[in-house]
This record gives sequence, C-alpha cells and structure tokens, in this order.
Amino acid sequence: MADVGLVPFQILAAFLFACGVACFVTKRNAIGLLMGVELVLNAANLNLVAAARFVPGLRIEGQVFAVIVIVLAAAEAAVALAIFLNFYNNYATVDVDQANESKG
Amino acid sequence: MFNPFDFAAHPGRAYMVATLLPLVPVLLLLIAATIRNMARSRSHTDSFASRVYWLFGGDQPLKTGGYLSLVFLLASFGLSVWGLLNFFEESQTLHDQPKELAARWSERGDWLRIGSAKGEHRPAAALQTGYRIDQLTALMFAMVTGIGSLIFLYSLGYMRQETDETVDDHAAHTTRRGRFGRFYLYLSLFAFSMLNLLIADNLFQVFVGWELVGVCSFFLIGFYYERKSASTAANKAFIVNRVGDAGLLIGIAIAFATFGTLNFQDLAEKIAGSQPDEMSHGLWVLMGLGLFVGCVGKSAQVPLQTWLPDAMEGPTPVSALIHAATMVAAGVYLVGRCYPLFAPEVFLTIAYCGLITLFLSATVALVMTDIKRVLAFSTCSQLGFMMLALGVGAWTAGLLHLLTHAFFKALLFLGAGSVIHGCHHEQDLRQMGGLRRKMPITAFTMLVGVLAISGTPFFSGWYSKDQILSSALGYSVAHNQHALLFFGPLIAAGMTAFYMFRLWFLAFTGTPRNATVYSQARESPFTMTLPLIVLALGSLGIAWGWPLWDAEASFLGHKLHEGEPALMSRAFAHSRELAEEHHLAAGGLALLAALLGAGYAWSRYGRTAPTAEQLKEPTGLLANRWYFDDLYDFAFLRGSQRLAKLSANVDRSGPNQAKRFTLDGLMSGCASIAMVGGQYLRMTQTGQVRQYVLVLALTLVSVLWMLSVFVR
Repeated sequence: MADVGLVPFQILAAFLFACGVACFVTKRNAIGLLMGVELVLNAANLNLVAAARFVPGLRIEGQVFAVIVIVLAAAEAAVALAIFLNFYNNYATVDVDQANESKG
Repeated sequence: MFNPFDFAAHPGRAYMVATLLPLVPVLLLLIAATIRNMARSRSHTDSFASRVYWLFGGDQPLKTGGYLSLVFLLASFGLSVWGLLNFFEESQTLHDQPKELAARWSERGDWLRIGSAKGEHRPAAALQTGYRIDQLTALMFAMVTGIGSLIFLYSLGYMRQETDETVDDHAAHTTRRGRFGRFYLYLSLFAFSMLNLLIADNLFQVFVGWELVGVCSFFLIGFYYERKSASTAANKAFIVNRVGDAGLLIGIAIAFATFGTLNFQDLAEKIAGSQPDEMSHGLWVLMGLGLFVGCVGKSAQVPLQTWLPDAMEGPTPVSALIHAATMVAAGVYLVGRCYPLFAPEVFLTIAYCGLITLFLSATVALVMTDIKRVLAFSTCSQLGFMMLALGVGAWTAGLLHLLTHAFFKALLFLGAGSVIHGCHHEQDLRQMGGLRRKMPITAFTMLVGVLAISGTPFFSGWYSKDQILSSALGYSVAHNQHALLFFGPLIAAGMTAFYMFRLWFLAFTGTPRNATVYSQARESPFTMTLPLIVLALGSLGIAWGWPLWDAEASFLGHKLHEGEPALMSRAFAHSRELAEEHHLAAGGLALLAALLGAGYAWSRYGRTAPTAEQLKEPTGLLANRWYFDDLYDFAFLRGSQRLAKLSANVDRSGPNQAKRFTLDGLMSGCASIAMVGGQYLRMTQTGQVRQYVLVLALTLVSVLWMLSVFVR
C-alpha cells in the first residue's frame, strides 16, 4: 500500500468532526444527538491513530489513546441512554428542547 | 532544684511564699464553686450529686470560704512579720555589704525571652519576674497583710447577711442568693495581686499586679451588681483607671525600648541621678510622666480622681481595704519605688498634682453628707498629701504617711461600716446623731481615727503629717515661687480637722435626729469591734518613737528612712536643711490649723445641735465636686454617646441614603452586587443545547484567535 501521508487522514477526521457537530447541533432527537457525539469521538480516534502511524517518534501511543476513547465512548453512551430512557419515561418524548426544567 | 522553703539561704523566699498563700483559697473556692454548681444542676435526678451538693452547703452559702481565706492571710501575715524582723536585723548586721544583703533578699529569673531571632540586631531581651525586699516593701507587706487580716475578720461579721439562703436587696428591689464565698474569693485574689505588686522587682510584674488589683476592685465595687449605681460605679472605676494604665504602659514601653530592662535596680543604675546618656531629656521626662499618670489613675489624683468617691458603692470592708488602705496607695508606692527614675520636672508635676488634689478633695469633703463619701474625699486628699511630699523630695515623710494613713483610714472606714451595719444601712449623716450611747466602742475607736487624721500630737498621723508639712515648708523656702506647696496643705490640714470632727459630731453626739434609726441602732458583733480596737491601737502608736514628743523621732520613720534612695536625698539636700530649720514653725502652724478646724467644727456641730439650715441638702460648686463629673460628662461622655447612638440608629433603621456610607452599608453593598450579578447570569442557562454549542464554538474560536495573536 502506498504511503499517502498524514494529511488525507486529517481531512477525513475534520470532515467526520464537522458531520458530528452538525448532527448534534441540528438534531432535536436525543438518540440523534448521541450519534453525533459518536462521530465526533471517532474523528478524534482517527486523528490519534493516524498521528501514531505518521509522526516520527510516536509508536503505540495513538492506538492506546484510541482504545481508551472507545471504552469511554461506550461508557458515556450507556449513561446517556439510561438518562434518555428515564427522560422518556417521565415526559414521553426524547426531544431535548423539552428538557429545560432547570434553566435559569 | 528550686526550693521555695529554703528560708535560711534566701529569707526573701518567705515573702514569695507569703504572696502565693492567698492564691490557695482562691483556687479552692473556685474548685468548690465548680463542683457545687455541677452537683446542683444534677441534684434533682442523681442522689450522689444531691449528697455532694448538700456537703457543699446546699442552697445556703457556707462560711468555710471566709475562714479559709482568713487563715491563709494570717499565715501570710505571720511570714511577713518573721521576714520583717529578720530583714531589719540583717540590714543592721550587713549594713556595709549591700550586695550581700541584696543577694539574700532578692532573686530574679527570665520569664519571657524576646528578640533574639537570627539576623536581628537588637540584643536578646527578657521580661523577668523576681522579688526584691527592701525597707519599704517589708513594711508595706506587713501593713497590707496585717490590715488585710483584720478586714477579713471584720467582713465575717459585716457580710454575715450574705450567708443567708436569700438576701433582700432593697436598693435594687430584688431577692437573690447570698454571695459569701464569692466575696472572699475576690478579696483573696486581691490580696495575692497586691502582694505581687509589692514584692515585684521590675515594672512589668508591677504592671501585672496593677491590672489584677484593678480588676478585683472592679469586681468588688460591682459586688451588688443588681444595683444600677453599683455596676455603673464599677465601670467608671475600671474605665478611668484604663486612662492611667495607658500612661503607665507608655512609661514602661519607653523604659524597655531605651534600656532593655525593667528591673528597678538596673534602671536606677542606668539613670543615676542626672540625665542618662541613652535618651534625650524630653523622652526622660515623658517616661516619668507616663509612669506618674498610671499612679494618678490608681491613687485617684486630679484629674482622674472621679472614680474613687463612686467606688464607695462596694461593701464597706472593700472600701476600707482596697479604696483606702492598700490599692489606692499602690500609686504612691510606685512613685516611691520609681523615685530614682524621675526627671526634675516630673517631681514638680507630682507635687502640684498632689497639691491640687489635696485641696480640691478637702473642700468637697466639707459639705458631703454621706458618711462614706466624706471618707472617700478625705482619702483622695490624704493621697494628695503623700504625692505632694514625694514631689518635694520628702520620700520618707510621704511613705510614712502612706503607712499611718492605712491604719487610721482603715479604722475610719471600718467604723463607718460598723455605724452603717448598726443602723441598718443608713449612710446619711443627717439621719444619725447621738449614736455614741448606742455604739460606744465604734464611737471611741473612731474618735482615735479622727484625732489621728487631724494630726493631733502623739497620734500616728501627727508624725507623718508634721514631716510632710515641714518638708513642704523647706521646699517653698528654698524655691520661693512654689510657696503654694506649703500653704495649700496647711489650709487643707485645717479643713481635714474640720470635716473629720464634723463627721464625728454629726454621727455620735447631740440628740438623735431620726428616731427610727436611733432606736434600731446597736453595737456591732465582736468580729467587727475587735478589728476596730486593734486598728485604733495601731492608729495611736504605730509611728511612736523615743522621745515621744519629737515628730522626727518616729521609729517607723527611721526604719523607712534607711530604705530611701540615696541619690535623691542629695538632689533635695538644700530644701531638707531648710526643712530641719523651719521644722518647729511648720509643726506649730499645722497644729494651729488643725485646732482652728476642729474648734470650728465643734462650734457648729458639737456645742449646740446643728440647725436645719446647716443640715439642708448642700448645693453649689462643692456639692457638685467642682463639676468634674459634669465636665467629663460634657467633654467625653455626651459626645461619644451621641455618636454611638447615631451610628446604631443609622445601622439599624436609618435612611438608605445615609446607610450607603456606613460600614454596614458597605457590607450590604457587597452582598447586593453578588445578588444582582447572579440574577443576570442565570439567564444564560437556557437549557437549549444549540446555544451551548454556539457559545462553546465561539469560545473555541476566540481562544484560538487569541493564541494565534498573542503567542508567537
């Protein structure tokens, strides 16, 4: 496989990040929000792994970080889903704009 | 190993032990009171506690505390007499070895070391504690413990009412429990503090004792604290004394900053008569004035004399012990001790301060109708005599008068107390009369006191007053511009005789003016008359010497003279010679003045019954005590009270406009800024995710922008 360099990976990561942000800014559905967050995290993972591959001096650190981020993302998703489930139980909706009870 | 009972090598330690002895009943009474209070709160539920409570006297105060205090003070008196005899013997045998004598009768040690930190230029200094016994201390110590013991004994009778389960305080319209133990607790604490002040060999320890006697005086003036007048008088005494103590503290601070020591001997050696090299003349004068201001406050001299007459609100034994014989004399004592430290200008200040006090107080005493007030003003006046004597260089005369005055003034106060006790708390002279027939012992012992204070020959007061007046005459002959320093006390001596005889005639002779008081009057019990008799003997003979008719031959005076600071007798040598020369003239004039005063009192009050005109409520300048109280009220009290009330009102409910500028307004302002800020900030918490993301993104962009601009 030809060595394409770091830049294409970064472009792809930036694109993924932009998609994720666009997703959780526009979506009102809580599940959609969560999906956007996953995209953002994976963009970061891609960056980490690519950097570990192409930046001299780095060897395995990127992969280790990426694995940790995946674990944390799983945990975060579990917590967030639990919150949304409760929210749905109480309000019969998953529209995050309705979740404004504790606003100032 | 420090052995406080090693009297053979250090006989001075007897004085240390004697000083600490009155502290024992203080501690015991405190412990007993604590146990008793704890037991009382549980005595309803716990049978053991109720038994303990019963053991400590139950609701009825026990007399044990009084006996205990008396026994310990008597032990202290015994030690001091032993010490006095030994000291006089040794001061004869070791007369030419002053170092040897000092080593046996004084010790000191560091208490607090200060100022030896690394890099500091000042040499390490230390506050010391120690004792030094000389003629003055030995005599004063014996006087305080002796008179103290008599007054403790007297109080057993006088304060008997306090041992009752319930005491009706008619003046305050309340009923309360008796406070016998508390009275003796304060008295014992006072005895300890006073003795500590006497044996102290440095100014700092004196200051500690000084404050302690001050606070005991406060407690005891306010002993009947349910009475508004008593609590006010206690506050007044305490606050006025603070003014003096501030001066004392300034004097001490100057001495310590300049010389690095507070020991009397070291200070005297460094100052040594002429101006010391370490300090400017102005500072030297200021140091002396500072020390003297402390003495002015404690000894009730003008302008800080106003507290003493009000202090008569306390129980009469307290007036006798603290406000006549011992504590108020502490100021005179300290002037005597600090004698070598004073600049010449300070002596003149002392003399004139004494002159003004003795004259003003004597004039006020002429018109007072309360038996204790007459005595209080007379105390001020006699303290003025002592100060004047010290100011004109008559160290021995001034301090001899201190010792003799302690006897006859304690006697007069205890006599007055006996009258008050016998007449069921009637203090107004106009309601008495003819009491001689009801209470003969009181009447005739008091007559001895009256004769002594008036300066009748062969009574103790004569010896000291005669010496004071001849020294004053010598001084005014030597310095003609100070002639008032002789004529003032001469006139005051006449007035003294007048007001004392007036008191005696009004109380004890003539016909009874108030039948109820007279019919209820009775002689006081033995515990009260015994101290009167002993003190009367003391007032008669304490200053005797041989030949009896020579005022200069007083044995006590000679002993005191041995302790006189040598430096000063040189400074005043000239006026001393003149005093010797004019001794007879001064004595004769003093006698004449006293005779005139006594005769006038007899013609007004003794020969015939006083008319209603003479007994009406006094008014005018003298009855208002030269308007000193009104002046202070106007100058200090009213302004500060008004300011305090204004501030309180502004803080509490004033208009908002004014409130903004007060401290309270500042605090409220801080609080309301936080509150308003919070109200606005909470609006940013909308609950909308998109807004949060927007803020987040804007923040990120601005941070990145700032990084790109500022971080190169």
